[in-house]
Amino acid sequence: MPYAADAVATVPRVSLSGIVKSYGGVRAIRNADISVAPGTVHALVGENGAGKSTLIKILAGAEHADAGSVQFNGETVSIASTTDAIALGVQTVYQEPQLFPELSVAENVFVGRELKKGARVDWAAQADAMHGLLDTVGLPDSVSTEAVGTLSIAQQQQVSIAKALAGDASVLILDEPSAILTDSEIDVLFSVIRRLTATGVAVIYISHRLDELFRIADVVTVMRDGETITTMPIGELSVREIAELMVGGVLTESRSDATGAQGEVVLELDRLSLENHFQNISLIVLAGEIVGLYGLIGSGAGEIASAVYGMKKPTGGSIRIKGEVIQLKRPAQARKLGIHLLPANRSAQGSFSFQSIAFNVTVGELQLLSRLRGWVEQRRDRSIAQEFIRRLAVKTPSEKQPISAMSGGNAQKVVLARQLVNRPELLVLVEPTQGVDVGAKEEIHRIVDGLASEGTAVLVVTSDLGEVQRMSDRILVVRSGEIVSEFTPDATQVEILAAAAGERHQEDLS
Amino acid sequence: MTVLDREPSEAVKPVARRVLPPPVTGQELVLVAVIAVLWVLLGIFTPSFLSPSSIQPLLVSVAPIALIGVGMTFIIITAGIDVSVGGAIALCAVVTAKLLVNYAVPLPVAVAASMALGLVLGLVNGTLIAYGRVHAIIITFGTANIFQFFALRVFGSSTVNNIPATLDVFGRGDVGRTFGVPHSFAITILVVLLAWWYLRHTAGGRHLFAIGGNANAARLAGVKVQPRVLLAYAITGTLVGLGACFLIAAGTSTLDQGVGIGRELAVIAAVVIGGTSILGGRGSVIGTLLGAILVQTVTSGVTQLGWPSQLANLFVGLFIIIAVGTDLLRERARRRKA
Repeated sequence: MPYAADAVATVPRVSLSGIVKSYGGVRAIRNADISVAPGTVHALVGENGAGKSTLIKILAGAEHADAGSVQFNGETVSIASTTDAIALGVQTVYQEPQLFPELSVAENVFVGRELKKGARVDWAAQADAMHGLLDTVGLPDSVSTEAVGTLSIAQQQQVSIAKALAGDASVLILDEPSAILTDSEIDVLFSVIRRLTATGVAVIYISHRLDELFRIADVVTVMRDGETITTMPIGELSVREIAELMVGGVLTESRSDATGAQGEVVLELDRLSLENHFQNISLIVLAGEIVGLYGLIGSGAGEIASAVYGMKKPTGGSIRIKGEVIQLKRPAQARKLGIHLLPANRSAQGSFSFQSIAFNVTVGELQLLSRLRGWVEQRRDRSIAQEFIRRLAVKTPSEKQPISAMSGGNAQKVVLARQLVNRPELLVLVEPTQGVDVGAKEEIHRIVDGLASEGTAVLVVTSDLGEVQRMSDRILVVRSGEIVSEFTPDATQVEILAAAAGERHQEDLS
Repeated sequence: MTVLDREPSEAVKPVARRVLPPPVTGQELVLVAVIAVLWVLLGIFTPSFLSPSSIQPLLVSVAPIALIGVGMTFIIITAGIDVSVGGAIALCAVVTAKLLVNYAVPLPVAVAASMALGLVLGLVNGTLIAYGRVHAIIITFGTANIFQFFALRVFGSSTVNNIPATLDVFGRGDVGRTFGVPHSFAITILVVLLAWWYLRHTAGGRHLFAIGGNANAARLAGVKVQPRVLLAYAITGTLVGLGACFLIAAGTSTLDQGVGIGRELAVIAAVVIGGTSILGGRGSVIGTLLGAILVQTVTSGVTQLGWPSQLANLFVGLFIIIAVGTDLLRERARRRKA
């Protein structure tokens, strides 16, 4: 392993120690230490909300730590802004490509550090430099003058990496770079990373796909609950051991009250298709059953949920609710049929941020609150909200608190409460615990379990491996818009992940 | 030219020939075509339209709109907007007119004073927007009223009368032209070319596009977002000062209280028709110049044809909707693809 090779490498390129960071009252990072040697790939893993993203934002200068220090090549430095970080050679490729859609690829790569000739940008010099960069990241020269907005997401990711490389990176942070890439694109990414480490760049690599870490990383640091738990050479660990460190010793077991007492077929999809997103999806969900749809980002699983809730119109196949074929034109029709959806993007699709908790809980069910149609009774509004605050253990001083002032976990519980005011026939959950702390996650799972035992059919769409295992009676794996495998919850994470990432399973359905 | 005078690097693969997007966009060509068609049609139906005595005043009235439109283009490219330019025009114009009437200041002093005042007003807007982090439309809606208040205070009565002819060098008369070209229009062309070069070829100019495209990404890439945004408003203010001088010169010796009213809409119309995206991140000052010419052609054409003048509003309104509509359709098509 190169990281222990010589004496020079023993001085870390960058080390963060004693980092603490809170947002409002929420502690994103309690205590984090990480030390990255030059020429190595240092994996940073942890469950959603463990504090990885916050930690790298601090290193990248996008956030300021409340306490702690940063050392660069052995010297203490202060990173007060992204400009400071860039000056040190810290380059970040964020999960969401941070690009300018209207500008050309070359301009995107050089923005903020344009090559100049006098007062003007030296376009020719940039074009020359682009040649090598595009070659390194595996893009053809011809894209150089294309507007970034016209490229595919994977190509945009490659542009992001080229952009980071153009800044003479000494530390390259990759935040979930593989999530949106295909297998062959990941191979390209890895060869790029190896070329970089060979020149002494220190790479911090964040990923949820544990198996791929063994292909690329030298060292792994595990974060849990805002703390760095351990740092070890990756060769001394297995996927299972890393997973155990991430979740805290015990791997979450599958649902305790699993299966058995299930009723009629509530949801039936028959060869449902949506062009460019998914094809020939057939599945059933019984009353009282929780079915997990597991897929990595970009698998099309999220779009299946959108189609069931009437947000996207399928281009083929049929949806049946309790045996009846339905054609949804908009979400309001789905709600009438007793289909509720907990959206993945809480802030964009789930919550009315300036409004009170009470408003957010009852907005979908105002007819319950009124004896005269159209007249909302404030008192019942409040009492329903108070009941849910108690039932879901939402931590808030009062139901009048605006939802924007709450932590992710509590906000998600409020949005979930809205779906529960009237027990739905079918509850569709999309990434229900994304960005939610571990405690709240556990509670959300418990609430959904309770709902299922009362007879609601539940479809969970998630890219969180632990979650799909923990929640589901049956696990369906979606890859490239198709259901490729079905598992029972006692399948191992590796089996499920392998199916989602491309390895065919024996019980292949297709 | 810069591509050619470099040594071909090891002759591996030829470096992409074009290092920049094309200098003139489709939208600009469409505008040129629309203006050409209108001019030909107007020339056929009212033969006097194509005479110098008709075109020259047209260009004089295009000048202040296109000039201020340059600044507005900068602002809209950053995904901002400035609806206070009407109020700012009124304030600059009345202060300059009073200076001319009461102190008989010479031309350079009048122009410098107006531009300096405009710069101050632009800095007020820019500081509040860039550093106060309040949306531009809120801030400039507020300052529009405040500027208008100060303008009316300075006016005192409803008009400023007997303004000396100091500024006529920017006006409609013979002293306002060289080789038949109105000076105000020539200066505007010069400013447009400078701004075009700045936006296209300097890092600062490209950063305006980056900010409008994705302000957060720009910040992360180390672009100094706040000073750039401030600069866009400061430039607009300064150009408002010069534009106010053009407006005084283009009028009579009397300046009316209503001098600024509605001008912000004319300027924004020219920018939007010129193909600058109201969503930010894309735009062109040449488009803005063409947009201003198109708007004035329609206004003056409707008058010369003897049609009811409100038809001009109808046509300008349709042009705006067509321009913004194509922009939004384009954006949607791109989202679908991505």
